[in-house]
Parts: sequence; structure tokens; C-alpha cells
Amino acid sequence: MTAPVRPVPVPDDASAPYWEGAAAHVLKVARCARCHAFTIPIDIVCPHCHSTDPAFAFEAVSGRATIRSWTIVHQSFLPGFDDDLPFVLADVELVEQPDLRMIGRLLDGSVTALQIGDSVRVAFEDLAPGVAIPAFTLEEP
Amino acid sequence: MKARFAARDQVAIVGYAHSQVERHAPQPLGALALDTAQQAIADAGLTVAQIDGFTTGALFPTAGAHAIQDGVSIVSSNWLAEHLGVNPRYAAGFQGYGQIPGAVSLAVNAIASGTADYVLVHRALHNPAGRYHDNPMSAAAGAMQWTAPQGYFGPLAMIALPYNEYLQRHGATRDAMASVLVEARKNGARIPWSYWHEQPLTAEEYLAAPMIDDPICRYDCDIPVDGVAAFIFTSAERAKDLPHRPVLVSGYATGHPTVRRLPTHWPLDDIMTTGFETARRLWEQSGIGPEDVDLPQLYDGFSPFVYFWLEVLGFCPQGHAHEFVQNGGIDSDLPGGLPVLSGGGALGNGRMHGVPQMLECYLQLSGRAGERQRARATVGLACHSSPHFGGAVVYRAG
Repeated sequence: MTAPVRPVPVPDDASAPYWEGAAAHVLKVARCARCHAFTIPIDIVCPHCHSTDPAFAFEAVSGRATIRSWTIVHQSFLPGFDDDLPFVLADVELVEQPDLRMIGRLLDGSVTALQIGDSVRVAFEDLAPGVAIPAFTLEEP
Repeated sequence: MKARFAARDQVAIVGYAHSQVERHAPQPLGALALDTAQQAIADAGLTVAQIDGFTTGALFPTAGAHAIQDGVSIVSSNWLAEHLGVNPRYAAGFQGYGQIPGAVSLAVNAIASGTADYVLVHRALHNPAGRYHDNPMSAAAGAMQWTAPQGYFGPLAMIALPYNEYLQRHGATRDAMASVLVEARKNGARIPWSYWHEQPLTAEEYLAAPMIDDPICRYDCDIPVDGVAAFIFTSAERAKDLPHRPVLVSGYATGHPTVRRLPTHWPLDDIMTTGFETARRLWEQSGIGPEDVDLPQLYDGFSPFVYFWLEVLGFCPQGHAHEFVQNGGIDSDLPGGLPVLSGGGALGNGRMHGVPQMLECYLQLSGRAGERQRARATVGLACHSSPHFGGAVVYRAG
């Protein structure tokens, strides 16, 4: 019997460039062509300028971010994570724009001394050929 | 302060019924709802034929892959009316979070406008077989693609992030939350229909419980249950002819944040910013302030909500709720304690959403709390959900 597998993302018309970028280990964020603000996740309209024709384009970002919060997951309600328990999920703010938040795994193992404001950099978990999930690692102080 | 709410104190609760709260009820949820509705109608001194309005918020709050089936895992207003044999003038379901204040606001507005004369507000909660939030998802499509692939899933992780943000920002520790759990379970243990009847919890037991999403442990979450509550509303004028002392609705408020976020991502600043606005609206609507409330029943489906509500409502300064609870601030048996969980809350009753808060306001303000009756119970406040997505209702003894 094979171990359960983690849920894999299903790209759609709007999100395909994000997942193509991730597969190539590049973090891309949707940016409104009207007001140039970044949005996570991509929306139908721009949540900043409310344009109904935002013509979002996914733009590569630095991948640098700071930790705003985190949780240590001890029990997963999804398949495929049990062998990884416990693991850290970090709520991070990307440096490109105030309050531009993402949630990703912190791949540094069982970290015990995290602090709000710690610097992280994007990393990727390769789940399958052509499928990678954005995550983060701590920057060296 | 002049109240903004034109229907202030013009609509009343005149009766109620509450089922036993059990892990798994012996009968289907719809049957339990029907029995409870009929008991509430009789309690109010009315007949089924007089009920012409029905409201609820029917949400099944699971992240699991459980079927949503009316009469089985949820009970809508229309299902209940149909099975009572009533073709109602008004039936509505509140769609947002804060289902209890939402459903109450629909009922109050229907009566104040003359749309309906006697409205039944109910809430039916179901605990399905299997683990409540388990989801065998293998492909994450739509909104889930942004969070499930990295393992961010369900309401426990959702509340763990802002709770940890609170702990870190305000220098609080998990130990302080033991006061919330001990208080909720102490009061729940006194309530005959509670799942936790005669089962108080010690601080040591709380702190020894297994972590699920650190800093959230098992006892920071209310336990999933089967249970139903029903309340009958009518005008304050018609209430004069009914058997029980009416409890009047002085105002209500709900809110909804406008910041675009990942699914179930609730940063602390979102909760507090929108929560402060919800509280401001509540005082403006009802014409009272926090100092006027005898019975501020705070929502506690996850324990950190108690801190957030204490702070947005102004019962303690922002960032100090953890000290407030540790210093006996919410001990409802102390003369100076604020009775915020005197009805046991969700942590002390089971996952009945905002029902325990509303029921405690009703029982105390109508003088029907029996052995638990409090001497000072004129103005009550019943909160539900998070301050930024939920809401609250102000009640006054009639």
C-alpha cells in the first residue's frame, strides 16, 4: 500500500502562470495593470483600485519576506502530511508591498526560536515533475 | 446616548427550547429540530399556526468532506417551516458568519416592519460520523489551491496564526488561557443540557492537552456536537399577553472585512480593526456603552476569541486581555468579575455556535435561570464568531 499523497494544486486559467513560475522555482505575484498593486491570491477584480478590468500579470518578486506569525502543525486534516508532523507554517509579509501576506511551510525543521520580524526567503518543495509548492526558509542572521 | 436603531426595544424574545447537547443524537437532526421548535412554540404560549416567520443561519462549519443535506446535516428555515406544516410569510437564512446575530437581525427586522408577527429563530448543529475536519482531498482546485498544497487547512490553523501573533506581540503565554477554559467548563458543568455537564476542567488538564496547531490545543476548541435551540420572537406589544417576561432587543451589529486574503487567513490586525468597528456600531445602534452591560456573553468557539472580544468591546485595553483573565477578571463567581462565560459558552456546552451566549442572556434577563439566576441581569450582550466576521446583539430585560 502506497502512502497517501498530499493534495496537488489544480491550475486554472487565472492561476496557471503562478504554478508555472513555481515549477521553475520562481515566485510570481499577480499585479494590477491599472494601479500596479500586488494581490494574493489573484482575484476577479482588483481589491485595491476596484478595477473590473485589472489585466493582472504575474510578476516575479524577490522572494524575501518577514515572519508575521506561525503555527506548528501537530495534526493534519489533509492526507499526505502525517510523516512530516510536526511542521511549521509561517504567515509572512513579502517585502514588495506592505501587508502583502502569504502562508507557506518553513523548511528549517523543528524551529523553536522564531520571532515576529525574522527574515525568510522563498524556497520550493518539489512534489512531482512540474509541480512545486512555494515555501520559505530562514535567512542567515 | 441616543440609539440609532429605530426598532430599539420593540421586538422581544418570548420563549425558547433547547435540546440535550450530545456527541451524536439518537434521532436525525431534522427530527431534533422539529421537536425543539414545537417545544419553543409551546413555551411561548403559542400554537404552530401562529408562527409566520422563520430565520436561521444554517452553516455546517466543517472543513471536512461531509455531505450538506437539509434535515440531516443542516436544517434551513424553509425545511423547518415545511415540516411544521407552515407556509410562512417570511423565511430567511443569514449567509455570513455570526449566524446567531445575523438570524436575530432578520427576525427583528421582519417583526418591526410588520412582515411577520411571530418568528421562530433556530440553530441546528450536527456532528457527522468520522473526524469533523478530515478531508481526503487529493487535488486542490479553486480557492483551495492557494493553501491546501502547503498543508494550511481548516479553522484550527486559521485561529492558531492570529493567536500566536497575539501571544508574540503582547508578551502573553498559553498559561493565561487556562483561566478562560476553567471558567467556561465550570459554568458548563452547572448546565444540565450541556455536553460537559458535571465535567469541569482544571488548569493542569488544560495545559496537558495535546497540541493540534500550536499554540492551539484540543481544549482551545469547542467539541463538535448534535444540538438544537429555538427562540420565539414577537413585538414587545404582543409580548405583554404571553406567559414569560419578555427580553427586548436593543440593537445589533455585524461586520465584514474588506482586505483581500488567502482563504481562512485571519491576521490579528484584520480581526481587531474590523472588530473595533463592529463594537462601535453596536454601541451606536443600541445607545449604550460597555459600562451598561451586566452580562457580556463573549463568543468562545475558539478560546482566543474571548481575548479579542474583551478588547474590541472595551472591557480591557488592547493587548491586556490575557492579564485581565489571569487576574480573575472573568470569574463570574467573584463580586467584581465580569460574567462573560456565565452561560458556559461553546467551550463549556459544545459547538452550539452563538447559542449559549444568546440563551444565557435570555434566561438571565427573563428571570428563568433557576439556580443559576444572577442578581444583576438587566442588560445583556451576546456575541458570535470572530469580531471581524461575526456580530453581537444587545438585550434588555422587558
